[in-house]
Amino acid sequence: MKSAEPKRGNNMNKRARNRLIGITAIMLIAIVAIIATVGLRGGTASNVTVKQATSDKKNIGKRIKVGGVVVTGSWDKKTNPMTFKIRDEADSSGTGTQITVIYSGTAPSTFGDGVTAIVTGEFDANNTIKAGEMITKCPSKYESSTGSYTVKDLKARADTMKNIPVKVSGKVKAGTIVAPGGAVRFTVLNATGGTDEINIAFEGALPNGMKDGSTVVLTGELNDTGAFEATNVALEGAK
Amino acid sequence: MLTFGQIGLGLALAATVLAAVLFLFGHLQKGAGKSLSRIGYYLTFAGVAGLTISVVIIAVSFFTKDYSIYYVATQHTTDASSLSWLYKLAGVWAGREGSLLFWTWLMSLFAGYVAWKSAATEDELGNMALMIINAIIALFTVAMIFSEPNNPFVATPAQFLSNGTLVGAAAQWGMSPLLQHWAMILHPPTLFIGYAGLTVPFAFAMSTLIINDSSDRWIKWADRITIFSWLFLGIGIGLGAIWAYVVLGWGGYWAWDPVENASILPWFIGVAMIHSFTMYRRKGGFKRWAIMSTAITFAMVVLGTFITRSGIVQSVHAFAPDNLSLWLFLFIIVGSIVAGAVGLAVRWKEFAGNDAFESLTGREAAYYFNNVLMLVASLVIAYMTVASALPKWLPFGGQSLGAVAYNLIARPVGILYLVLMAVCPVLSWAFTDGATFWKRIKWPLVATLVMFGLLVVEWIVNLRPVYADMVALGGETAKGFTSFGPQVVYDILTLLGFFFASFVICNTVALFVRGVKARMDGRGEGFGTALGSVFFKARSQSGGYLAHIAIGIIVIGLIGSSMYVRDMSSAVQAKVGTTMQVSDYTLTYMGNKETTKSNGDVEEIVHFNVAKGGKEIGEVSPSMTTFAAQGQSRLNAVVLSGPLRDVFVVFQGTSNGTLSMDVKINPLIWFVWIGFILLLVGAGLSAWPKKKAITA
Repeated sequence: MKSAEPKRGNNMNKRARNRLIGITAIMLIAIVAIIATVGLRGGTASNVTVKQATSDKKNIGKRIKVGGVVVTGSWDKKTNPMTFKIRDEADSSGTGTQITVIYSGTAPSTFGDGVTAIVTGEFDANNTIKAGEMITKCPSKYESSTGSYTVKDLKARADTMKNIPVKVSGKVKAGTIVAPGGAVRFTVLNATGGTDEINIAFEGALPNGMKDGSTVVLTGELNDTGAFEATNVALEGAK
Repeated sequence: MLTFGQIGLGLALAATVLAAVLFLFGHLQKGAGKSLSRIGYYLTFAGVAGLTISVVIIAVSFFTKDYSIYYVATQHTTDASSLSWLYKLAGVWAGREGSLLFWTWLMSLFAGYVAWKSAATEDELGNMALMIINAIIALFTVAMIFSEPNNPFVATPAQFLSNGTLVGAAAQWGMSPLLQHWAMILHPPTLFIGYAGLTVPFAFAMSTLIINDSSDRWIKWADRITIFSWLFLGIGIGLGAIWAYVVLGWGGYWAWDPVENASILPWFIGVAMIHSFTMYRRKGGFKRWAIMSTAITFAMVVLGTFITRSGIVQSVHAFAPDNLSLWLFLFIIVGSIVAGAVGLAVRWKEFAGNDAFESLTGREAAYYFNNVLMLVASLVIAYMTVASALPKWLPFGGQSLGAVAYNLIARPVGILYLVLMAVCPVLSWAFTDGATFWKRIKWPLVATLVMFGLLVVEWIVNLRPVYADMVALGGETAKGFTSFGPQVVYDILTLLGFFFASFVICNTVALFVRGVKARMDGRGEGFGTALGSVFFKARSQSGGYLAHIAIGIIVIGLIGSSMYVRDMSSAVQAKVGTTMQVSDYTLTYMGNKETTKSNGDVEEIVHFNVAKGGKEIGEVSPSMTTFAAQGQSRLNAVVLSGPLRDVFVVFQGTSNGTLSMDVKINPLIWFVWIGFILLLVGAGLSAWPKKKAITA
């Protein structure tokens, strides 16, 4: 490279320095201005739960990012845009207000019943959200059996426990798991032995790895026929 | 095995803590501390040994299927193919606990390397750098030993084990099948080599502050390791993108997920660091920049693990949160930045450096703006990444920022950066007069216009129509386009991007041409010899320029494959011969095949012929697997690659004789991959060790 730069005095140096600072300032202002437009142009969304979204009128007409559990059987991957419902994560009985999601994009591979879907889009007055972004979290695969009833206990109290949400744990009876659609999905035995068993009704996705003999923790309630209608099925695990 | 693993970690913790303390006292006692420092060296090697024992035990346990270790039980491969030995090895870094151990072990290897090189002289610069690295390794080891979710050596609960095999629910534990892919095997280790190596420049920067030596000795120490680490970080990011594109099946490769951001942040600020090092080395300038950028780079390195382990931000990568990780990693982040800032404040005068600016047309100014832009970009992305965890009264506090938000910022700022990259290498130091500048850019500018012209033709014919098509679809998909305002803004951004990317490429290629010509004329070398000399004798520089060309190519690819993706979902009648039209591609349905496996899983494959403009170009057979017992499904996407565009086809199921298809046309995506490879070559050339420093 040539180094035939003319000699320049201190004065010039200062002027160059000021210009440098000036251009830096202009650059920073430009970047701040660009960032400011993000807020105006709908690049942001507030994080809310299904309960917060549906109970606060302020969210109507705004972009929100809401996470909820996909309601069993509420979706059809084949329609476009795809529509499904999500319920609040704490609302295991499914009685609370739900949000209808209209999703225009490819459903992630892991999408399914009972999966936590986090969607972003504009929320309207009918508790509907038009979403263009979705990420999914797998259903909690493992759950501790602490605090759950055994199959034996639950059977013994069947009369008083009807239609009350509870947790129960037991062993999957060999050869009983069938595909969704029927009245009974599988049967669980008392984990510590004995002949007690309960039929489980469940339409959602079973956790990966569940098979004959797996110890499962179920959330749901006993119905009038004595079957257990599960809203969540998890494998027993330390995590 | 479990006990030995724990002992290894314990040994590492004891050795690194003691080493750091001895180096400190050795330094405080001046000459008399020599023997203390010497013990520090031995302890550094002991730390390497301790962590190596732990890593080897984990690796061996994967190969011997020792499921008494909970981490091995949950991360072992379920694969039975010829690659399963690789997946066994990959178990070491596939999970939360193992990846932290693996990273810490790599840091200790870097520490061992520094100790080995520095042991001959045992000078203060090396001693203090080793003190810092040992202290950091000690903190990471604390995170493993004292936080159970991070500890790889936890026993598997007894109810899941029977005679060494996993029983009950545990029988199906194992590595996620999605991760069992070659790119995923290489992605974490390359990334972690980068992360681990970027500890070294930080350690040397702090060391040189401590011993108050503002010469470029520390740069000479850290320079190659820095570029080497930055290169590996880049490889890691690229492999992650390739994996996402090929395996995850959503048709993209970058989604601005918090953890993706966390990997690109140290890489961006690393660009500022590397350029500051060049200025430090060659001009004795940018000293404070160099010091501070090492601290910020290191803080950004830790940010990723902080995000995944603290649970403060929602991400697809997040682990279950734990409190110790939250505070410990937050402490490391804040601590490293404070250390850099306070250290510089104390040594402000000593690290003044030769920062006299003659003129805005000098190359110094370009380096300066490079630093400002990279610093600001990194800080802005970092802020946006954690914004959802911040209080509501801050800008974007409690808000979640999607890809639209990042793109709105990244695209214009990226173009600004390209301008800088295009002109910087043709500027002289201090001052460039107009005539010289013009002489240098005249021919490259002609070449640029030719290249730009070709891109514009491609744009008008194939890319620009996508805008209207996608906006017509409406909804959220359209927002990615319309959020930029009227179409003319989008057009201008594209054209500026294409122009300056071409300019970067042509201008930099011209530098090589000039260099070769000068050697041929001046020394009478033949073309081949001259070209070889230009490439290999001044590796730092030629590698850097190759990287510039690569960035230009990548940007062209990014403009196509992120701004002009044609995405069409449609229902196709399941009748042989039915067609669907996406842009000028015609997909003709040729039939399907449904196979039911013995376990009840169903795989449905659909076959399509793909024709472009009436000419058949290939066949695609995407499929969908439905897992019977679980009631879950997996979509197996197919990519039909061409030089100018990929056709990405997903089959989403059948209902009432109608197939649900999603087709994406990803233009220019190959430019991204090719540019990426060239970037690796360039950075590799720069990082290649040399016997003595030569600069052109």
